[in-house]
Amino acid sequence: MTQYLVSRLLQSIIVIVGVTFFAFMTLQLAGDPTYLYVSDRASAEEIATIRQRLGFDRPLHEQYITYMTRMVQGDFGTSLVTKMPALDLVMTRLPATIELTLFAMILGLVLAIPIGILSATRRGTPLDGGIMLFAIFGQSMPSFWLGIMLILTVGLGLRWLPISGHVPVLQPLLSGDVGLAISNVPDALRHLILPGITIAVFSLSRNARLIRSTMLEVLSQDYVRTARAKGLRERSVVGRHAFRNSLIPVVTILGLEFGFLLSGVVVVETVFSWPGVGRLVFNSINQRDVPVVQAAVISFSFLFVLLNLLVDLVYARLDPRVRLN
Amino acid sequence: MSKSSFVRVLITVMMMGILLVPLSAGAQAPDDDTLVIAQTTDATSLDPPQVGSRPDANIIAHMFATLYDIEADGNIVPYLANDYRLSDDGTEITFTLNEGLTCHDGSPLTADDVVYSFQRAADPENAFTGNTPGFVFASVGYADARVESELEATIILERYQSIALGLLSEVHIYCRESYEDRTLEEAANFPIGSGPYQFVEWVKDDYILMERWEEFDLREPGFERIIWRVIPESSTRTAELIAGNIDIIANVPPDQHEAVNNSGAAEIQAVAGLRRIYVGFNFTDQFETAGSEGAEAIKDTDVRVALQYAIDVETICSFLLGTECERASGLVNPPNDNPDLEPYPYDPEMAEELLDAAGYPRDEDGVRFEVTLMAGRNRYLNDVDVVLAICQYLDEVGVRTNCELMDFGAQFVPLLVSQQAGPLYFVGSGGGNWNPLYEMADFANEASNPNYGFWDNPEWFDRWRSLADIRDPEEERAVVNEMLEVFYNDPPWLLLYSQPDFYGVSTRIDWEARRDEKVIVFDATLR
Repeated sequence: MTQYLVSRLLQSIIVIVGVTFFAFMTLQLAGDPTYLYVSDRASAEEIATIRQRLGFDRPLHEQYITYMTRMVQGDFGTSLVTKMPALDLVMTRLPATIELTLFAMILGLVLAIPIGILSATRRGTPLDGGIMLFAIFGQSMPSFWLGIMLILTVGLGLRWLPISGHVPVLQPLLSGDVGLAISNVPDALRHLILPGITIAVFSLSRNARLIRSTMLEVLSQDYVRTARAKGLRERSVVGRHAFRNSLIPVVTILGLEFGFLLSGVVVVETVFSWPGVGRLVFNSINQRDVPVVQAAVISFSFLFVLLNLLVDLVYARLDPRVRLN
Repeated sequence: MSKSSFVRVLITVMMMGILLVPLSAGAQAPDDDTLVIAQTTDATSLDPPQVGSRPDANIIAHMFATLYDIEADGNIVPYLANDYRLSDDGTEITFTLNEGLTCHDGSPLTADDVVYSFQRAADPENAFTGNTPGFVFASVGYADARVESELEATIILERYQSIALGLLSEVHIYCRESYEDRTLEEAANFPIGSGPYQFVEWVKDDYILMERWEEFDLREPGFERIIWRVIPESSTRTAELIAGNIDIIANVPPDQHEAVNNSGAAEIQAVAGLRRIYVGFNFTDQFETAGSEGAEAIKDTDVRVALQYAIDVETICSFLLGTECERASGLVNPPNDNPDLEPYPYDPEMAEELLDAAGYPRDEDGVRFEVTLMAGRNRYLNDVDVVLAICQYLDEVGVRTNCELMDFGAQFVPLLVSQQAGPLYFVGSGGGNWNPLYEMADFANEASNPNYGFWDNPEWFDRWRSLADIRDPEEERAVVNEMLEVFYNDPPWLLLYSQPDFYGVSTRIDWEARRDEKVIVFDATLR
């Protein structure tokens, strides 16, 4: 197990270093960012001075090495736009993104399990067909369009839910104000539902299909047949014997799921005016605020790699064949 | 109860909770004391010298006052200062402050604070990149500031500048005591202002809350609180406006006007903005060297005049911008333009005649010459459609035009500011209605921005330099009119229009949008 752990840790570090390199290069290749920090009326001399001040005149490898050295020390640089530490900007917005992502993840999983099981146990019925149709529809809808539709129907038409905005729970919780966090929960939930559904629909559909197919596979196994032959109730056969074994692939995709949901928040946070990291990244890319984009991308990748590492460890625990191989 | 049963019950309660939450009221309409404004982007900084964008400037203008103020109609009126005097050589302006002014932390605001505000903005140690050090100080020729007395501060300029008062009216004032010991990060996030509203809270990417500063009596705002919300997506902004949760939104796309006007909850206010949209001609030799025949042709004044007749600006406005507009007759917006100059009409036959006469007849393929038109995407209202329409209009008179659309920030601006955009380039330039020279300063120099195309007509630039010695407003106006005539007859721009601005305004308030893109709400009141 130790060897497996060390091997996975090394792989994770390589992935993070690779991400930092590609994030850095992609932004640099898009053009000289100096021009975003000069007035249209700036002279060539002023542009050159500002380029030098911002460090954009130095060779790329030097900029990268300097950046990596500082990053290891916890210094991701200062935002070129706001003059604030880039990592602080990301961290102040991270709670809002985690709230949204976790909510969407729970929604996607909690609803997918009963839907997937129902579909598998009613295979070939109109209910199964309807569920699969919904799943395909859910996977085909662009989140941007779905978000706007939800705003127009549920938010504006029915006036059931807020159209945009955010009420924090994690932020006051982290700063020790438990009372405020608890009192915010009902309002926070109202604000979470529309963006949460928008993000969750794709993964809900995918998870439901995955659970259905693994359930179908498990239900055809000998031990399930044995369980039925023993006279167990169908509920016990499905719930205790089949469902638990069908969860292994679901656990595997949980880590990937988090990464997928994080990438989805960029669009959804913009549509619902959600003050999270996704919007910060979106705005920072537009403003070519290099340090903030790098800090956000690396934070995301770090979270993603960490979660997948955890999932792998859990998976290795659940299925010893993984670590043996 | 067994463990698994408990988990099941818990999940059921949570799901029911989520399902029941929608039954409570969805919308949160502002109360009568609160005005809610939605902007497209969050503020990047609330430190005045660092402020460079319009959304940031709108917020700052409610928390920080200036020495003089430019009103919606272009009048420059006293604000923190009640008077000013100019030195004989015109290089020193001494402002007299009102008595009893304070900043929001209670510090008294005196002449020393005015001097501090100017010197802090200009201090290279602070490396501010906002509008004050980046544009105002450069344009006005700011040299230094000094205290004359407790209520008198002098701003020293490198040269006489007839539009100095207007330019200096963009510099926000604050107290030395409030800022001297603060880091730049603190100053950017926790402003201590000098204006009608004081800062309360800034939740990044969400909202900024400000409350009325009762001790400020130079303005009488109609609302106790202003919330500046950040809603980047236009459909969401419009939905919030119609739902009654927002009072004012800017930049409403034309396709959403009908929905707003039919809602009964809000209406669209269309104003003739001051941002001048034009196609510039680049006169540098680089394109001819690269073999562009169009680059040579546009150096001919007759060709540039001919092309003015080829563009149907009124149709572009009504079909692509969703409003009627009048074509520009120069680089100065009405009412400061030259009233004797009529906008060039749309007359493609005249365009063809003039092009023939200029020595550019159609060839066998019907083409007179080829030229490239460069433009950035999605910076101005429906810019991509407008650029494609212009290319089409030019094609129709035999000028084969290659439209090169590119990313505005990453690709187009670097080309533009390094004078490499062209031979034709589509761009907009912010304007003002308080003095024609402010807009004419686009051509303050033959070889520096924003004269992106290096237009060097000596009839213009000789007169521009002569303005430095003119103190009489009538004499100055006469020279201005002559210069505008030079511009009209030897146009360095393919004249188009001033961009219309569309605001969505809630029917619960009375408020009139301004032409200069500023969202100032001191005079907004509840209906």
